[in-house]
Amino acid sequence: MAKEQGDLPEATGHRLEELEKGLFTSDLSVNEFLLVKEAGFHPVGFVMGSSIYHIGIQTRKWGQSQELTKLTEAMYNARELAMTRMEEEAAQLGADGVVGVRLDVNYYEWGSDAAEFIAVGTAVKAEDGVSRLNTLGKPFTSDLSGQDFWTLSQTGYAPQGLVMGTCVYHIAHRGLAATLGSAGQNVELPNFTQALYEARELAMTRMQDEANRLGATGIVGVRLEEKSHQWGSHTIEFLALGTAVDKTGAPVTLTRPTTIISLDN
Amino acid sequence: MTSEPTDLPEAAERRMTSGAFTSGLSVADFAACLEMGLEPVGFAQGFCAMQWSPLGSSMSNAMSPYRSTTGGGYSEMFNCPHGFVSNDHRQWGQNYEQTWYESAWHTGFDAALQRMVEEATEAGAHGVVGVVDSQQVMGDGYLLEFHLSGTAVKIPGAPALQQAPFTTYLAGQRLAKVVEAGYAPVGVVATLSSVRMWPFCITEYQLHGSGLSMFATGVSTSEIDQVVRAKSYSRQIARDAAKHALHGDSLHGARVTTSERELGQGEIDYHTVIRGNRIRRFQDFKALPVPQPTVRLS
Amino acid sequence: MSALTPPNSEVDLAGAMRAALAAYSQGPGSGKGTTSDLSMDEELNLHAIGWEPVEFVTGLSVYSTPPMTWSWGQGEISAASYSHEQAFQLAMARLHRQAASVGAHGVVGVEVERSIHASHTEISLMGTAVRPVGAAAIDADHVFTSDLSARDFTLLMLAGWEPLGLAAGASFVFAPRRSMGAVMSQQTQNVELTNFTEAMYSARETAMERMQSAALAMKGTGVVEVKVFEGPMYFASHAVGFTAWGTVVRLREEQHRHVSPTMVVSLDDVDIAFSADTLG
Repeated sequence: MAKEQGDLPEATGHRLEELEKGLFTSDLSVNEFLLVKEAGFHPVGFVMGSSIYHIGIQTRKWGQSQELTKLTEAMYNARELAMTRMEEEAAQLGADGVVGVRLDVNYYEWGSDAAEFIAVGTAVKAEDGVSRLNTLGKPFTSDLSGQDFWTLSQTGYAPQGLVMGTCVYHIAHRGLAATLGSAGQNVELPNFTQALYEARELAMTRMQDEANRLGATGIVGVRLEEKSHQWGSHTIEFLALGTAVDKTGAPVTLTRPTTIISLDN
Repeated sequence: MTSEPTDLPEAAERRMTSGAFTSGLSVADFAACLEMGLEPVGFAQGFCAMQWSPLGSSMSNAMSPYRSTTGGGYSEMFNCPHGFVSNDHRQWGQNYEQTWYESAWHTGFDAALQRMVEEATEAGAHGVVGVVDSQQVMGDGYLLEFHLSGTAVKIPGAPALQQAPFTTYLAGQRLAKVVEAGYAPVGVVATLSSVRMWPFCITEYQLHGSGLSMFATGVSTSEIDQVVRAKSYSRQIARDAAKHALHGDSLHGARVTTSERELGQGEIDYHTVIRGNRIRRFQDFKALPVPQPTVRLS
Repeated sequence: MSALTPPNSEVDLAGAMRAALAAYSQGPGSGKGTTSDLSMDEELNLHAIGWEPVEFVTGLSVYSTPPMTWSWGQGEISAASYSHEQAFQLAMARLHRQAASVGAHGVVGVEVERSIHASHTEISLMGTAVRPVGAAAIDADHVFTSDLSARDFTLLMLAGWEPLGLAAGASFVFAPRRSMGAVMSQQTQNVELTNFTEAMYSARETAMERMQSAALAMKGTGVVEVKVFEGPMYFASHAVGFTAWGTVVRLREEQHRHVSPTMVVSLDDVDIAFSADTLG
C-alpha cells in the first residue's frame, strides 16, 4: 500500500480547513511574529511534514573510508519526504512560503533502523497579495528565524528554499599495527582528515547543487551538522543546510545600525 | 558552630571590623553599587543547623484514626465509602499541614538571617545586598542547615539606622532598577509550607492502581481530589505566609519551588517554598516612554 | 527591550538610594502590597502600557487515567487524551478563579508544568495576575491567561493585539506493529514505513487540531508561540504522545500596528540575557 510520494495522510485535512477559514497558528515567538509582519507577511499556519523511514543495512568495509551511498540516499529521501509534505500543507493554505523550518530526527525504541524525520515551520503569506513563490512555482522554505527573515527583506533579497546536502561517510578503522605504532605521539591521522574533508565537501556540493536548481544567487545561514545517529562512531552523517536566496527587485532599505552599549551584565 | 543566637563567633567579629573588605559582588555589581552610592563594607553571613523531630514517620503504626494537629493548620479527613473490605483496605486518609516542620524551617532560616544581619550591623552597614540563601537537608531529612550570605553596604554620610540593616536578594543593575523605579529594598522573604498526604483507598487506587481491584468498576476517572487539595493548599499556605510577612509592602521577584517526597506506605510530603524581595514604595513611577524595539545584528 | 539607563543620564541614583533608605527607616505604610514574580524590567514594561501586577497566582489539577489504558492496543489512546484535556481545563479554571478573585484582568508569564504518568496526568500553572492600573474587577469569563512573558504581552498590546487564553491539544497513540514478514523484507531496503507514518502523522495533526478548536472556541484569530512536545511515554515506550499549546490572540483594534524596530549593533563582547533569577 505504498503511498505516492507527496500524499498527505487524511488526518491533515480537517486541521488545514480550519486554518483556511482564517485562524492562524504559528510557533513564532512574539518578536518573530511582529518582525514577520514588518517584512510585509502574515502567518497563516503551523505546517508539518513527517515520514517514518526504514534505513536499510549497508555493509561497510572495516578498513576502507568511503561514502555509504545507500545510507546517504536514505537520509536524503526521508528528509525530502518530510519537507515535501510540509510544503504541500503550505501550498494548500495558499501560503507564499514557510519560515523557521526545523528538521528533526526522532528515534523510537520500537523501530530499530527506523527513524521519524520531521519538518515543521510557520507558513506565511505576503500581505500585498503579490506572489512570492519561488522559481519552481512552490512556496519558499527557509530555516531563517523571524529576525533573520526581516533583516533579509531589508537587503533586497528573498528566500527561495531550504537547501540541503547530505553524505553518510564511513571512516576506516586504522589497522591495529598502525595504531600501536603511533600511540603516545602527536600525529595527524590522515585517514580521518581525508575522510572528513571529502565527506564535508560532498555534503556542501550537493547543497549548492540544490541551490543552483532553484536558480538562486547565493546561500545564507549555512551550517554543517555531524551526527552518528545510531551507527557507531565511525559512521557519520554530514548534513549541510542553508537558505538559498535570490535578488528581487525590491529596494534595499537597510539603514545604518545604531551602536549601543548594553549595560546588562 | 554552637554559638548562642545573639553571639557571633569570635572570628567573625574580627573579620567584620578589620580594614579591607571581601565581597561576593561581581565587578559589574560592584560598579552598580558605587553608582547607587553604596559602599561595600564586608561580606556577611549566617548559619543555622536545625534538628526537627518527625513525630512518627509512618501512619501505619498509628493506633488512633486521627493525627493530632495541635498547632492549627490545614487538615482534612478522607473517608472510605466502601464499608469493611479487608485488613489492607485503607478506610481513611488525611491531608495535614506539618506545622512543626514549618516552624523548624522558619526558625532555622530566621536565625541564619539574623546572624548575617548582626555581622553587617557590626560593620556599620545600612543594608546587605546580593543575599544568597541555601539550605541543605542532611541526616535522612531530620537535619536542616541554613546558610545566608551577602555583601554588607553602607551609604556614606547617611544617618545611622535605628533598626537592623535592610536585606535583599537583589544586587547590581537589578537593584538599581528597582530603586530607580521608586522602590526601597526592605528585606528578604522566604516561607515554606509542608503538607503531608496519607492516601485513603480511592487515592491509593488512582495513584497506584492497587488495593481496590474489585471496586474498579465503581471508580470512574476523575480528579485525584486528595492530591489536588494537598498540593493546592501547600501553595496557598506558602503564599499566604509570604503575604503575611510583607506587612503591607510588596513582594518582588518571587520565586516558587515545589517538591514532593514519597515516604513509606504511599505517604507523600508536598513542599512549597516562596522566596522574594520585600520592597516598599517611596516614590511613584515616573511616566515612562514607550520602550523602543530594536533588532540586534549579531 | 526597554532602554537601559546610560551612564550619563539625569537620573540621580545615589539620591534615590538615600530616599529609599529613609523610607525603609520609616516603617511600612498602610498600603496593600502586591506579589509578583516579574522582574523589574517586566514591571516597567507593563507600566509603559498602563498595566500593573496584582498577585502571583496558581492553578493545578491531577487527573486519573484508568489502569489498563497503556496496555498494547491500536490507534488512539482516547482515555489518555481525555485525562490530559480534563487536567488542563481544570487547572486553567482554577487559575482563572484565583486571578478573578484578586481583581485581575489577566495572567501573564504562565509557566506550564505538565507530567504524564501511567496512572494520572498532572498540570500545574503559575503566573502573575495583572490589570490596568487601578481598574475595577471584571467578570471571571473575561480574564485572559497566557504563557507570554510580561514583555511579550507589552509588545503584543502595542501592536494592537490582545491575548485571550491558553489553548492546548493532546493526542496519544499506540505505535503500530510490523508483521514478521514485513520486517524481513525491509532489512536491507530504504523504504518509508507508511503505516507508522500515517499513525504518527495522524496523532500530531489531531493534537494540533484540538488546540485550534480550543482557540476558535475562545473566538481568537490566531495562536502564537505554539510549543509542540512529542515522544514516547517513559513508562510505556510503545505509546507516543503529542501535545501542543500556545496563546490565543485577537486583534484589538482595526488593524495591526507596525512596530518599526531600529537595527542596533551591540559593542559588547558577550551578550548575556537579563535573567530574572536572582538567587544562588
